[in-house]
Amino acid sequence: MAPQARGGLIVTVVGFFAGIWLFLAPFIVGYQKVGQDWTDATKNDLWTGGALIAICALTLLLYAAFALRDAARAAEQKNTADVEES
Amino acid sequence: MVKYVIGAVGALLGALAGAWLMLAPFALAYQDSGANWADPTYVDFWTGLPLLVVSLVGMILYVSGLVVELRRRGIMRRPYSEPAGQPQAPGAPEGKAQGSENNLEQILLPLVTAMLKDMQERDRSRDEAHQETPNNVQQVPGKGEEGSVRS
Repeated sequence: MAPQARGGLIVTVVGFFAGIWLFLAPFIVGYQKVGQDWTDATKNDLWTGGALIAICALTLLLYAAFALRDAARAAEQKNTADVEES
Repeated sequence: MVKYVIGAVGALLGALAGAWLMLAPFALAYQDSGANWADPTYVDFWTGLPLLVVSLVGMILYVSGLVVELRRRGIMRRPYSEPAGQPQAPGAPEGKAQGSENNLEQILLPLVTAMLKDMQERDRSRDEAHQETPNNVQQVPGKGEEGSVRS
């Protein structure tokens, strides 16, 4: 895997965990009491955190899918070249 | 190649989310300007800022990966590099001419190999046909022998 791709993937994983943190922060930090109406800050954190989780998960999933497709194509081309050589 | 575009778009959206988190306490007015920062403001700002920075770094990485891939496939050229197929100046060093000759050789090699194999097969089948008709002593080495290659 190219070093740029590895770095990019690490960043995406960091974004995923940042989303989880945002989702849980109102309850962990304690500015949202359980059972009470959600404040604007809580709603913002939940929506932003949820969106961030979804974006990063989708990015990772699609990246993996296309990386697999590229690897399969490369292997196919290599096999074809080997057969032509022999 | 598409994977890098997807990664870059994801990183861009992450950066936008980070920027929004930094502005949200003031945009949604759960932080009064001038007042001490409340807990939600600290959380949002100090999550948003690293997220923005990290996502921008990620976007740069994905885009540089895309550029490397495009160069590898020959879609994009290095800036200031000599365009391919430029006519060689007289008296220029032989190295490049030799390189292009080797390339031509590499391109022609499979074609020549296939032709050679085809001619050898044709010779072999002709030999077999001759062996099947031993009484036919007088063979005219005419058109059939043209271009024969014996291995």
